[in-house]
Amino acid sequence: MRSRAGVLAVTATALFLGVLVVSQFRSREAYSRTLRQETPEQLTRLIADLNDRNRQLRSEIFDLRLALDAAQSAVASGRGSLETSEKQLAQLRVFSGRSRVTGPGVGVRVEGQFDERALSDLVYELRNAGAEAIAVNDSRVGPRTWFGPGSSGTLVVDGREVRGPWVVRAIGDADVLYVAMTRTGGIVGQFEVIYSRTRFTVGRESTLDLPAVGGT
Amino acid sequence: MTDGRALQKGSALLLPAVLFGLLVAAQWTTIATPGVQDVGIRYIDPLAAAVNRLQDEQASLKAQLAEVRAKLDGVQRAASAQSGAAKDVQAHIDELRASAGLTEARGEGIVVTIDALRPLGAKEPERQVCLAPDLTDVVNVAWMAGARAVAINSERVVAASSVYCVGATIVVNGSIVAAPFAVSAVGSAPSLLAAIDDPAQLVDLKRRRDQLAVDMRVTRSPLVTVAPYAGPLGARSAKPQ
Repeated sequence: MRSRAGVLAVTATALFLGVLVVSQFRSREAYSRTLRQETPEQLTRLIADLNDRNRQLRSEIFDLRLALDAAQSAVASGRGSLETSEKQLAQLRVFSGRSRVTGPGVGVRVEGQFDERALSDLVYELRNAGAEAIAVNDSRVGPRTWFGPGSSGTLVVDGREVRGPWVVRAIGDADVLYVAMTRTGGIVGQFEVIYSRTRFTVGRESTLDLPAVGGT
Repeated sequence: MTDGRALQKGSALLLPAVLFGLLVAAQWTTIATPGVQDVGIRYIDPLAAAVNRLQDEQASLKAQLAEVRAKLDGVQRAASAQSGAAKDVQAHIDELRASAGLTEARGEGIVVTIDALRPLGAKEPERQVCLAPDLTDVVNVAWMAGARAVAINSERVVAASSVYCVGATIVVNGSIVAAPFAVSAVGSAPSLLAAIDDPAQLVDLKRRRDQLAVDMRVTRSPLVTVAPYAGPLGARSAKPQ
């Protein structure tokens, strides 16, 4: 009786693993087929992006291993790991948008007709170029930020009406962000065609001060 | 009479000559086209293989990162029991990790699946369409409707999330995601469904769905599971004030 239950359990586990392997294989197959439809230029761009991301991951693993060693040594010597915890807390506050931040970056000023979808696209384009912190006028973009239509001359950010002109400020590598915004065929170029009466100005900034989520 | 015969002979040759000309032109095009494509096609397989290798490497790095994070968390949690200050900091860390998308989220919610539609008679869906703006539009509506957590396939959407296309390939948080694309949102299912159904939302996506240009399905679920963000947190330019 027991061996029959065991066989059933093994069969169920094997079935589950089989389904998992097949679904993983299918997922990999699905994007592999898509990849073969891309041009060599597009594949080269993907390789560059993946290399960059993997470099960031390696750097983060290296830093965390150092932090782990420091925390283990501190605990072993009876000092506790408060210092490591406070560093982690500061990093999380920046990542989640819960602390005010400062740094170099770009500002994109939008004067005239604009809409919430375009604003969302602009914010994503800045994130895609590596922006680490973003604000729309005085509203910091957080993990759950959403954009909606507002009354005349305004857009809604996280439920708050934000009146134009809108200035989207982003902290990150100023040169990379500037090129991402202003390159031929880039998002600002597209906006200039679509919103032909709206004025878009992009500028590099050596220091930007952004508020925390909630405006504190 | 001789001129008439010559004209008849000439007319009789005209049709075969035109046909021959057409054949030569068609053959020329057939030979020339693969030659032009070959230059590009030659590199596609090795480049696609390199993309796959880097994506596998990334999966391994993410697993290593999760392991080191878990070890550090274990050491800090154990140490936090020793002092009140450390306990407070740890509680704050736990709260921030959850709100920033670094922990798994579960609960009722919805899954919106989007994919390019297969053209009539084709074996594969038409993939040369960039669906990234559709995905970010759905994510925006989910946040608007009060979602607690959102992911695109297995990639958690966080404050620094990137979502873009390279050709038709979609990259989320620096990782390639495969079609069909699923936006999973944890939150009040009625609120999320109402927002998705709102005629003022996702106007462009719904129009293309109605034109059979894109496949869009919305599923309500009593249990949606959203994986934690597995990428790097370190900021290189933004410093706390």
